[in-house]
Amino acid sequence: MSEALLRLDRVNTFYGPVQVHFDLSLQVGRGRIVSLLGGNASGKSTTMKIILGLLAPRSGTVEFDGARIDGWPTHRVIRAGIGSVPEARRIFPLMSVRENLLMGAYGRADRKAVGEDLERMLTLFPRVAERINQRAGVLSGGEQQMLAMARALMGRPRLILMDEPTMGLSPLFVDRVLELIAEINRQGVTVFMVEQNANLALQIAHEGYVLQTGRIVLQGAAALLRGDPRIREAYLGGAAAA
Amino acid sequence: MSSFIDYTVNGLVVGNIYALLAVGLALIFGVANLINFAHGSVYTFGAYIGWAAVTFLHTPLPVTMLIVFVACAGLGVVIERVGLRPLQGKARIAPLLATIGLSFVLDQLVQLVFSPDPRAVPSDLPDWRLAVGDGSIGAMDILIAAVGLASAALLYVFLRFTKLGFAVRATAQDREAAQQMGVNVDAVNSAVFAIASALGGLSGLLVGMYYNHIDPAMSFQATLKGVVAQVIGGVGNVPGAIVGSLLLGLTESYGIALLGTTYRNLFAFVLLIAFLLWLPNGLFGGRATIQSEPLVGSFIAPSRPIRLPRWAVAALALAAFALPLATSAPYLLQTLTNAWLAAMLALSLTLIAGTAGQISFGHAGLLAIGGYASALLALDLGAPPILSIPAAGLITAGLGALLVFPAFRLRGHYIAIATLAIGEIVSLVILNWEGLTGGAMGLTGIPPLSFLGQDIFSNRAIYWLCLAIVVSLAALQARFLNSHFGRTLRAVREDEIAARSYGIKLDRYKGLAFAFGGFGAGVSGAIAAHLYSYLNNQTFDSQLSLLALTMVILGGMGNVLGAIVGAVALVGLPELFRVAAEYRILIYGVVLLLLIRFRPQGLLGTV
Repeated sequence: MSEALLRLDRVNTFYGPVQVHFDLSLQVGRGRIVSLLGGNASGKSTTMKIILGLLAPRSGTVEFDGARIDGWPTHRVIRAGIGSVPEARRIFPLMSVRENLLMGAYGRADRKAVGEDLERMLTLFPRVAERINQRAGVLSGGEQQMLAMARALMGRPRLILMDEPTMGLSPLFVDRVLELIAEINRQGVTVFMVEQNANLALQIAHEGYVLQTGRIVLQGAAALLRGDPRIREAYLGGAAAA
Repeated sequence: MSSFIDYTVNGLVVGNIYALLAVGLALIFGVANLINFAHGSVYTFGAYIGWAAVTFLHTPLPVTMLIVFVACAGLGVVIERVGLRPLQGKARIAPLLATIGLSFVLDQLVQLVFSPDPRAVPSDLPDWRLAVGDGSIGAMDILIAAVGLASAALLYVFLRFTKLGFAVRATAQDREAAQQMGVNVDAVNSAVFAIASALGGLSGLLVGMYYNHIDPAMSFQATLKGVVAQVIGGVGNVPGAIVGSLLLGLTESYGIALLGTTYRNLFAFVLLIAFLLWLPNGLFGGRATIQSEPLVGSFIAPSRPIRLPRWAVAALALAAFALPLATSAPYLLQTLTNAWLAAMLALSLTLIAGTAGQISFGHAGLLAIGGYASALLALDLGAPPILSIPAAGLITAGLGALLVFPAFRLRGHYIAIATLAIGEIVSLVILNWEGLTGGAMGLTGIPPLSFLGQDIFSNRAIYWLCLAIVVSLAALQARFLNSHFGRTLRAVREDEIAARSYGIKLDRYKGLAFAFGGFGAGVSGAIAAHLYSYLNNQTFDSQLSLLALTMVILGGMGNVLGAIVGAVALVGLPELFRVAAEYRILIYGVVLLLLIRFRPQGLLGTV
């Protein structure tokens, strides 16, 4: 694996008395697409919260580009060069599409470059461009997903976090979103995505981790993971293996 | 003298003053999801800072306004930092209660520094008036309109075109998503409190100049007016707050023209109730609406209540009964009698707000109904107190449940606002229904407590009577809590939808809670009426409602013994230690703030 841009080391997380992560360690190499897979309640989304600083781990470290970012407030994590496409998209429904995109560049001061990036996003996401002056709340789910991706890219992140980017989308949009993720990655952005749908995620990912009730149970190159029966086992629990 | 045009001008001017308040409340609600009950206190603070600047420094108007603006912005930042930021992630009722605590503290500090006497704010505006039709517009009117318009315009530009304005809007729409765009949401909250408070302070200054009168007690009404304006326009909606304020100002002004000044607030609160019932999202509804998450259910901190063994409770009760045998110190007995009366109120509120989860901010209204019912039965019909007091309890039970009944389908913040308004309406009806209640003059010569024609003046007898009622009510309520009825009420509190899907008729159980609670509060008010021998519309004011809430939180929401402990601690102890009245409110505020921060489950734990 190439040099790590993001590294989690023996992270333990709790919601009150309930432990969510057990010595969770993983790394995301620079320029890669890494996918975190797992079923319901495996701790995937919580991993995103830990990286973003929305939740503090009880122990363990999170490093981004060599700097320890655990304990940082979220806005500082974002400004350090991490973009986020949150679960369920979380676009700002009452703002226009353009305003949503500008919010993505909130931490940037280079106004001119922001304008250029806005144009770039509109080329990359033509569906978003068509609706530039509409209120974001009226967009379809797939369009909102594209907007959320474009919005995250507006911050010129080095690492982009995507939480279930294909959730609730029509099959047509699922393919489009996956293509876009691969395209974003080709343009030099490292991608760390959480996905429930292992088959989809492993189509574009370079590496994968499989999380089961807070523990990494499987990891490796996407090509090797694809079709590995143990993935099914991880999703369905031990009993289904037989 | 006054023409239609004059009333219109007055309505718009007052509307502008409300708008300065309501816009701030809307901004704060937007980013913090909170109705800021300390907002009126900032307004009062602004008025006094302005008064001090003009009086002592002889500042010209623009400088005065600047001073008020900056001072109140600073106060806003402090309120956010001290009162609210530490409560992030806590139940949503927690910051709301914290702002109530802060308002107690701020109002009392203003009163201690500037004295409770009303002041006149001198204005150096030219004294000319422009004739318009058969009315006129003065320099003051124009100033207020100009400040209102300028603030609205600046706010629009700020929200629409500045980076921080973008962040404010984004935070209001989705706080967590805004964080993930790199917005420092704490800084946004701070900025919003600063802006909102600066505008609120200006509003207070302008009011002081307009009416040439300020006093430290004006906070609460100001908060209420801002809330009403916001509900009219749609809670959290900034343009809606402006339109709502102007409508409220005009309605009040025309209402005064028709019926007289004492009706001003009645119009405001009736309008509020009407909107809550029929258009709860306001005129511009559908946008930022209050989440219908239960307010109290989630405040009931998971705690293991401290259960005293039966013999200990019995021993405490016995000791309380035996106390007058050991001492006949009238001051001690009277003080404890007051505590028992407060305990009846607290028992009522802990059942309604704690057990049933229907947070009530208007409980003093129940005292007033009970007090007036018993007094009128005694005065007009010659009923002996032994009959009139229980009758007053029943009347309060019926009337209380009936008045709140339309609000049963409201939840969360809305039920709190509605009960507040209903409490105010009770007091305003008493003020205006002179034929029955004597209006502002009140009722005098209410007969003392008596038994079989024998008047009771003995401190001991009154003490025993009140204590006996408290013990009976408490025993009954404790019995209820462990019955099917108590469990059902708690189910309603925890999750209305789940309760309903198990076939529970929500209205019936909420009604029963208000009826039972109404009885206890009514009896308390009735006894108080006979003890005081005099009542008016301010005897049981809204501060008492909030004090009752503090007692209940102190004891532990829903906790029967806790309610009594809370009442004794907050009514009995300060008096026994002869703490001056103005410091008492200060203590209540601080107690409330500390409890919410460090021990939300209260002393004895929630049930």
